[in-house]
Amino acid sequence: MKRRTLLATGIGTAAAMTWSRRGWSQTKPFDGMTLRLACVNDQYSPGIKTLAERFKQESGVTILVDILGYGELQTKITTDYVGHTKGYDLATTDNVWAPQLAEAGYTVTLNDWMKHDAEEMKLDDIYPVLFPALGNYDGKQVAFPLAGYANVLAYRKDLYKAANLQPPATMQALVSAAYKLTDKSRNQYGWVANGQKGAACAQDWMQYLAEVGGVLVQDGKPTLDAAPNVKSLTTYRDLFQKAAPPGAVNWDWDGREASFRNGLAANMQTWSVGALGYFDPTQSKVTETAALMVTPTATGMKPRYGIGGWGIAINADIEDRRKEAAWAYIKWITSPEIHKALNLLNAGSFLRKSEIHDPQLNQKYPFLPVIDESFTHGDPDFRPRVPQYPQIQDILGTAVNSALVGASSPQDALSAAQTQALRYF
Amino acid sequence: MSFRLTPLQRRSIFLCLMAAPAAIHVAVFALYPILRGMGFSLFQMNLMQPWIHHFVGLRNYTDALTDPTVRRSLVVTIIFTVGCVAAELVCGLCLALLLWRDSAFNRFATTLMLVPITVTPIVVGLIFRALLDPSFGLIGYWLLQAGLAPPQGLLGDTHTALATMMGIDVWEWTPLVALILLAALKALPADILDAAEIDGAGGTRRLTRIILPMLLPSLFLVLALRFTDVFRTYDIVFAATAGGPGDSTNLLMLLAAKEGLTFFDIGYGSAISILMTLCIVLMVALLIVTLRSLDRRMNQA
Repeated sequence: MKRRTLLATGIGTAAAMTWSRRGWSQTKPFDGMTLRLACVNDQYSPGIKTLAERFKQESGVTILVDILGYGELQTKITTDYVGHTKGYDLATTDNVWAPQLAEAGYTVTLNDWMKHDAEEMKLDDIYPVLFPALGNYDGKQVAFPLAGYANVLAYRKDLYKAANLQPPATMQALVSAAYKLTDKSRNQYGWVANGQKGAACAQDWMQYLAEVGGVLVQDGKPTLDAAPNVKSLTTYRDLFQKAAPPGAVNWDWDGREASFRNGLAANMQTWSVGALGYFDPTQSKVTETAALMVTPTATGMKPRYGIGGWGIAINADIEDRRKEAAWAYIKWITSPEIHKALNLLNAGSFLRKSEIHDPQLNQKYPFLPVIDESFTHGDPDFRPRVPQYPQIQDILGTAVNSALVGASSPQDALSAAQTQALRYF
Repeated sequence: MSFRLTPLQRRSIFLCLMAAPAAIHVAVFALYPILRGMGFSLFQMNLMQPWIHHFVGLRNYTDALTDPTVRRSLVVTIIFTVGCVAAELVCGLCLALLLWRDSAFNRFATTLMLVPITVTPIVVGLIFRALLDPSFGLIGYWLLQAGLAPPQGLLGDTHTALATMMGIDVWEWTPLVALILLAALKALPADILDAAEIDGAGGTRRLTRIILPMLLPSLFLVLALRFTDVFRTYDIVFAATAGGPGDSTNLLMLLAAKEGLTFFDIGYGSAISILMTLCIVLMVALLIVTLRSLDRRMNQA
């Protein structure tokens, strides 16, 4: 009798332990699960990794974060999706990948879940422009907004003051100021942007082009060599040749950021995510003289601020239970409290109106009003969000660089680009 | 009746077993991917558009051969390859001849000489990109100040970028060529060289009539290795110029990688890779024919 009692007790205990390990408790439904997240190596990725421990404590779910370079991330998750290897449950996705992901069906469409959990997630607290900008194509939300960036103008207020100039209200004023603030004898240049062939110069020119009203795709067809685009590339080329530091034609984001932070350049159109570094004495020599403002637009143009950043997507191949756990993580990491914690860890990536108006974050990021303005009047389509975007970007990356280095005229470069682009439409 | 192996048969089986791991490795990691690549190249297939997957025969090849970008890239790659290999061979041979005599200094110099090849190529590309930058670079800034570099820097000007990349490649890989040739020089029979010296043959005559002919196998090894490696260069150029400015350093490998790994156009990317393989096979075949003919002529002389 005694042995049977002991045996029953033992079995009961084992069953109870198994019960709790299988995560059937109400507070931690996915307790014991491990999810793998492929995360781009950007400003917010260290914070994501740090907060993974907190998520584990609160939910019992381990998040293994792989931090990868941009190209490596894109290659790894694409081969994972195509090969159906289920290597990653979650991945951060660039805003321009959404069309391809939506067409191919590689990530879970989140519309129904968002509708179901709208109140819990406080979706009305998230800037509306970030939904189309960071993971939506053709009505399908294939990634949830994770890190919103505003396209802003970083400038040297001291140089403007010394030259009796006002911060530029229009793109024309910016171009004029760039020339006036260039003094090669003092190693001072009025302008800097990415010039390196490829994604670097293509993206920076597209930002510039958007602010002067240029359009690259219209009615589903490329319009790369339209007259306004040629005119804008001509102005852009002149800026590089007369007002940019030597070597800028071979710079990508690191080079142009370094030139601004070292005090070489007076104006730089950039993403807000790195702006905190301008005011950090360990990273910048212009801590007291740098300022941020919304990107000016062409005279007479309605304000149109570029929106960029990253979404977070769920692998469509994984089991339903893992998808639910992944969704639980997304809800958690984008929640008001946790996303604020992420930004207190220097993420510089914003989603919510409550964050933008939070006093603690405003003390850390004094330029939040600029981001508020940008997000409120943001344009999610300032770069063409089409499935052919990678090809367009690459074609433009060669064309723009060719024009910048004088290898071909802006007209010839964009005409050749248009011919190539038509092949993909 | 018992089946017994002869010693010759046993030896053959033993040798096959010894070679088997290497053969399996080559078959799995080289031959199989090439054959799969050839298969992919006959299809139109894009990983991001999985519904597009149909047989197109040789269309990817004809598209590549008629694509102006691919043709320009092929020309750039051939210039880059021939230029780098020729310079590395000449510089490597000179270095090997200088370090041939055994001395403490030469032994130390040989060790120091190997430093460039220990650095990962992509790091070399990044380092030189920084060094040659005309705004910040330790070399680039002063070259610009001295009027020895164009305003956009050596890597930012279409007239100088390719030659600069060739110089960087020569800097990195000449030591490897020197090392191979140095080993070959040290293996030359000393009595033949001594006899030539006694007979009154000068340095140049000894080099052209005795040393170089005896070095032919090593020269072939060096040329074959470097041709195949340089033709497939990717990382150093990707890091330094990303194929720019314009298309001046846009090597074929960058193009193939872009098509396959950025656009995920596996069919077209594979076709470019197979064309590259064919070019390499052709070059090595030409090399074999040339060196055999040289060898025959020298033996007849």
